[in-house]
Amino acid sequence: MRAFVFGDESLKEQAGRFVWLSIDTEKEINAKVQQRFPIERLPTFLVLDPKDERVALRWVGGATVTQLQKILEDGRLAVLGSAPGGGPEPAFARAERLYGQRSFGEAAKAYEEALKAAPKDWPRYSRAVESLLFALSSTYDCTTSLQIAREALPRLRGTASALSVGGRGLECALDLPKAEAGRPDSVAFFEKAAREAIADVKLLAAADDRSSLYGDLVRARKDAHDEAGAKATAAEWAAFLEGEAAKAGTPEARTVFDAHRLSAYLELGEPQRAIPMLEASERDFPQDYNPPARLGVAFRELKQWDEALAATDRALAKAYGPRSIRILLTRSDILLARGDAGGARATLTKALGAARALPPGQRSEPLIASVQKKLGALPQQP
Amino acid sequence: MSVTAMAVLVLALSPPPKTTLPFIEDDYARGLAEARTRKLPLFIEVWAPW
Repeated sequence: MRAFVFGDESLKEQAGRFVWLSIDTEKEINAKVQQRFPIERLPTFLVLDPKDERVALRWVGGATVTQLQKILEDGRLAVLGSAPGGGPEPAFARAERLYGQRSFGEAAKAYEEALKAAPKDWPRYSRAVESLLFALSSTYDCTTSLQIAREALPRLRGTASALSVGGRGLECALDLPKAEAGRPDSVAFFEKAAREAIADVKLLAAADDRSSLYGDLVRARKDAHDEAGAKATAAEWAAFLEGEAAKAGTPEARTVFDAHRLSAYLELGEPQRAIPMLEASERDFPQDYNPPARLGVAFRELKQWDEALAATDRALAKAYGPRSIRILLTRSDILLARGDAGGARATLTKALGAARALPPGQRSEPLIASVQKKLGALPQQP
Repeated sequence: MSVTAMAVLVLALSPPPKTTLPFIEDDYARGLAEARTRKLPLFIEVWAPW
């Protein structure tokens, strides 16, 4: 967002309409804020009423400049408490309030109510659909999500929302139990819709939204046991990201694509293609733990254990917060793969201690459980 | 290390974030206090550097 959206000149007019705060969830100093405002996915944008710290608007995921402009305008109106008007607006205002409070089940019902009352040209349609789908995903309601996404897609064609709604539909379809009768039809429908959205070059969308959809499409091909199709899609994905990185005007903008490019190269079975990219990023940003952490993963996949361990050493020297535990997990995998079960055990024990020591707001019980599971799966000590 | 080399290193360590918006970094109390004083909504970007 910093590299591609917040720098846009058209946002200058918004500068004096808000107080702007950035919260890095990895920093311990922000743990209390995270406890106060739990976040399901990153990035998330909140617009708060400073009088009572009420979340007036919540937006989950990235946004284009156009989407951000609408979010800001709606957020400002929600704080000012403007009269919502008729039609879908009262239900939408209620949905926004509930969504802000993370009452996702009730918010979903109110969004559905608003959508039913909405005229065809309702300007908040796409935001209502996207927020509804996230609310439904938070309540694990894939059946309703599929129905909503299928109904909405024709109307969202040609907009950035077609990518996220198509992607959510495809994820939900793939998550259905294999034995479910409607699963093949749903997967086929949303895979086609996702393909169409990605092929629409006129569609103005964030590059990472397109990239995420490629990831879903690779998953769909693998689900169909089509290894050649999965590889071909991963190759398209890598080519797309390489093109975007080549267009980036600064090293900062280029590195935005590193994580996605690494994923695409791993799917292709060509982790070596990530090495020059990550080495360049490490040179450009010597205090950033991400490039060496990703190099650790790439070298692990290449079975170059010494290089992988050296990369995790460099990453751990700079890392802070929950991410350092993830790097320790990568390191334990490397140690185990090269036959050092004792080293892996010591590293996992360290990771477990660090995970347990995180303050409320950063502490994650699923992460603690996954470290414990890895420890339990290690070969027994002699 | 020369002053120039130090300056280059500092620049390399801290790429200037290109933003037209005056973000307060990692200080909720200050953001909230400022929003209350100026009677403006508080926009929060919650993110992670990975």
